[in-house]
Amino acid sequence: MLDRQKECIAMLLAGGQGSRLLVLTEKTAKPAVPFGGKYRIIDFPLSNCVNSGIDTVGILTQYQPLELNDYIGNGQPWGLNRNFGGAHILPPYAQSKKMEWYKGTANAIYQNLSFVENYNPKHVIILSGDHIYKMDYKKMLKYHIKNNAECTIAVRDVPMAEASRFGIMNTNEDGSIYQFEEKPANPKSNHASMGVYIFKWEILRKYLIEDEADTTSDNDFGKNIIPALLRDGRRLFAYTFDGYWKDVGTISSLWEANMDILDGQFNLKDKNFKIFARNYAQPSSYISASSDIKHSFVAEGCTVKGKVKHSVVSTGCVIEEDVEISDSVIMPGAVIKKGAVIKYAIIGEGVTVEENCKIGDNPEYFDKDSWGIAVIGKGETVEKNTIIRPNEVI
Amino acid sequence: MMTGIIFSNIYDTALGVLSANRTVASLPFGGRYRFIDFTLSNMVNSGVRNIGVITKYNYQSLMDHLGSCQEWDLNNKNDSLYIIPPFASGRSEVYRGKLEALHTSINFLKSQKSQYVLLSDTITICNIDYREVLEEHIKSGADVTLIATKPANYTDDHVVVVEADSDNKATKITLNYPASEKALVGMGMFIMDREILIKEVEEAVADGFFHFEKDFVQKKFNLGTLNINIYEFEDVVLRNKDISTYFKNNLSLLDEKVRKGLFKKNSPIYTKVRDEIPSYYGENSVVNECVIADGCKIEGFVENSIIFRDVKIAEGVQIINSVIMQGTKIAKDAYIENAILDKNVTITEGIRLIGASDNPVIIKKGETV
Repeated sequence: MLDRQKECIAMLLAGGQGSRLLVLTEKTAKPAVPFGGKYRIIDFPLSNCVNSGIDTVGILTQYQPLELNDYIGNGQPWGLNRNFGGAHILPPYAQSKKMEWYKGTANAIYQNLSFVENYNPKHVIILSGDHIYKMDYKKMLKYHIKNNAECTIAVRDVPMAEASRFGIMNTNEDGSIYQFEEKPANPKSNHASMGVYIFKWEILRKYLIEDEADTTSDNDFGKNIIPALLRDGRRLFAYTFDGYWKDVGTISSLWEANMDILDGQFNLKDKNFKIFARNYAQPSSYISASSDIKHSFVAEGCTVKGKVKHSVVSTGCVIEEDVEISDSVIMPGAVIKKGAVIKYAIIGEGVTVEENCKIGDNPEYFDKDSWGIAVIGKGETVEKNTIIRPNEVI
Repeated sequence: MMTGIIFSNIYDTALGVLSANRTVASLPFGGRYRFIDFTLSNMVNSGVRNIGVITKYNYQSLMDHLGSCQEWDLNNKNDSLYIIPPFASGRSEVYRGKLEALHTSINFLKSQKSQYVLLSDTITICNIDYREVLEEHIKSGADVTLIATKPANYTDDHVVVVEADSDNKATKITLNYPASEKALVGMGMFIMDREILIKEVEEAVADGFFHFEKDFVQKKFNLGTLNINIYEFEDVVLRNKDISTYFKNNLSLLDEKVRKGLFKKNSPIYTKVRDEIPSYYGENSVVNECVIADGCKIEGFVENSIIFRDVKIAEGVQIINSVIMQGTKIAKDAYIENAILDKNVTITEGIRLIGASDNPVIIKKGETV
C-alpha cells in the first residue's frame, strides 16, 4: 500500500447538527438538507472534489448520520466508487482503550489519522458540509504548491462593514498570512475564511497530535490549529476565491441561496462543472393547463396544477389547483393541496399542506423584527385552513 | 427464476428515420426514457436479474445508454446484463428474425441456470409484474405463455392475434391480421421453459426457419404440439408500431390514467442519470398540459407537448402537440405544431413547422432548420 500515494485527499466535516436550521435539521444532519430542487447541501463539496480531480473523500459524520449514510452510499452518484479511494463515511468509533465522540473539527480528523495514512497523501483539504459554492480546488492546490505553503486557507473578500462577523485573515502583499482574527471588532482587512483549508499532510499530522495532547484545547481548526501554526511561524497563505459562496447555516440564508439560483446570482447549469446528486428514478413532471409557472425551478416527478412564482419546487412535489406559491422553497415530496397560499416559506421534505392553508406572508406588511421566513419541518402535516404566520416554525 | 432476453432491433424499420441511426430499443420516450428502460425496469422490478440484450446493428447508442447498468442495479456480482452482438455464435449470420436472433445467444441461454426464459421486444411500453405472469404460466402447465392485451383498435393489422377459452388456453392464433371482438393481441412478450427454447431454436434454425411467431408459435400450435397459455394484461399498454403511434403514445402521457399506469411507486422506471439541473420556467413562460423533463429553459408558450431533457425554448416560441427531444434548441418566435424534433436539433428564429396530428413533421437528430 505504501507505494501508492494520493496527491491530495479531502476530509469533509459533515457532523454538524445545524441547530440554527431549526426543524429542518431535527431529524437530519445539516449536510443532508435539500437545496435547489434536487440537491442536498453535501452535493456541493462532493461535486467540487470530483470536478477538481480529488477522488478520495472521508466524510466525518456524527449527528443523525443515517440519512446521510444512506444518501452517500458507495459514492457512485458522484463517481466516488473507487478501488483505491472514493467516498468513505467516517463516524466516531470505539478504539481499544477508549471511545469518544468527535470533540471538535480537529479532533475529528485526529481520530481518523489512520484513514488518511492509508492514502499516504502529500496534501489534505479540509472541507465543511454547510456551504453552497462551486470551486475548483485544483487551482487552490496549485497555488498552495507554488507557494510551498504548509497551509493555505481559502478566503473571500467581504464588505469591510461586515468583516467583523467573520474569521479574518490578515495578509502580507505576497498573500502570506501574518494574523488570524476571529470576529474582530476593528477588522484590519476583509479576507474572510471560508473554512476550506489545504495542509501539507506531514504538518497537519504533527499539529493534530500536538493539539490532542493539549488538554486545554478545543480541538478546533479555527481556534487552535491555525493559531498554533501562525505562532510557530509556519508558511500560511490566503487563497482568494471570488465566485459565489454562501453559508447556509440559517433559515434565512438557506432561503436566500435558493433564491440566488433563481435570480442568476449562482448558476448551476455548467456542462463542465456539474453538481451531481443521487437520483430517485422519478418520471418527468406533468404541468397542467391550469398551472401558471413564472420565474421558477421545477424538478422532475412533480405534478403542477397551481400558480408558482419565483420559487423552487423540488423533486416529486404535487401542487394542486388554486394553489398560490410565491418566493418559497418547496422541498422534495411535499404535497400542497387546493387553495393553499404559500409566501416566503420553506416547506420541508414530505410535508402535506392540506386545503386552504395560508403559510407565510410578504415582508412589506410586517415590521422588520416580527417578519421572517415561515418554516414547516420535515414530514409534518398542516391541517386544513391553518394559518401559519411569517417567522413561525412548525 | 427467469432469465430475460431483450430483442433490441426487432421492428427497427417500422420507426423509419427515428431508428435510422439507433436501435429501436434506444428510441427516446416520455421526456427522459428510452424504450428499453421500460423493458429492463419491468424485468428488474420482477426479480429477473440475468438479462441478455440481443443486438444487430447501430447498438452504439444503446451501449452508451446502458453503460455499467448500475441505474438498473445490474452491476452486481450475481446479477448481470449481457449485450449479445450479432455474431455471438459460430455459425450464425446477421439474424433475420427472433429465432435466428435467439440462435446468436444460444451460448448465453445455455450458460443460464434458471428454469424459465422471458422474451420481450422493446416497442411495447407498460409497467408489468412478470412474477404474476410466471406464476400463471406454471399453474397452467402450458409450454408457452403469451402475454396479450385488448387491441387498441379493430381495424389495423396486429402482429399476433389470439383467441382463448375460459381457461386462458389459446384456441386460435393469426398473424398480421385485424383483431375480432373476442380476440386479444400479443404484446411481444413470452415466457417458456429454457431447455425447450434452446431445443426449439436449434431445430428451427437448422431447418432454415427464423421467424419466432410464424415458424415456431403459430406453426407448432397449428400442428397441435404446442400448448399456449394466454395471460391478459389489463393495465396501460402503449405499442409503438410506427411513427404515428409512437407520436400518439408519447402525447398520451398527458392523460393521467396513462401516467398512473406506467409510473408506479413500487415499480419505478429507471433510466440513465444525466445530472441535469431542475427545469427553469421564465417570466413569460406559458405551459399548458405538458410533460417536462429536467434541465430545460422555457421562456415561450408550450401546449400539449412532451419536452425532453435540456431543451431550450426561447421567448415568443409557440409549441403545440409536439415531441421535443433532448438537447434541442428553439430560437425566438418559431412556431411548431404536430412535430417530432429528434435530439440536438436547432430551430432558428421565426421558423414555422406544421405537421398533421396523424403525420407529424420529423426533424432528424442534429439537424438545423
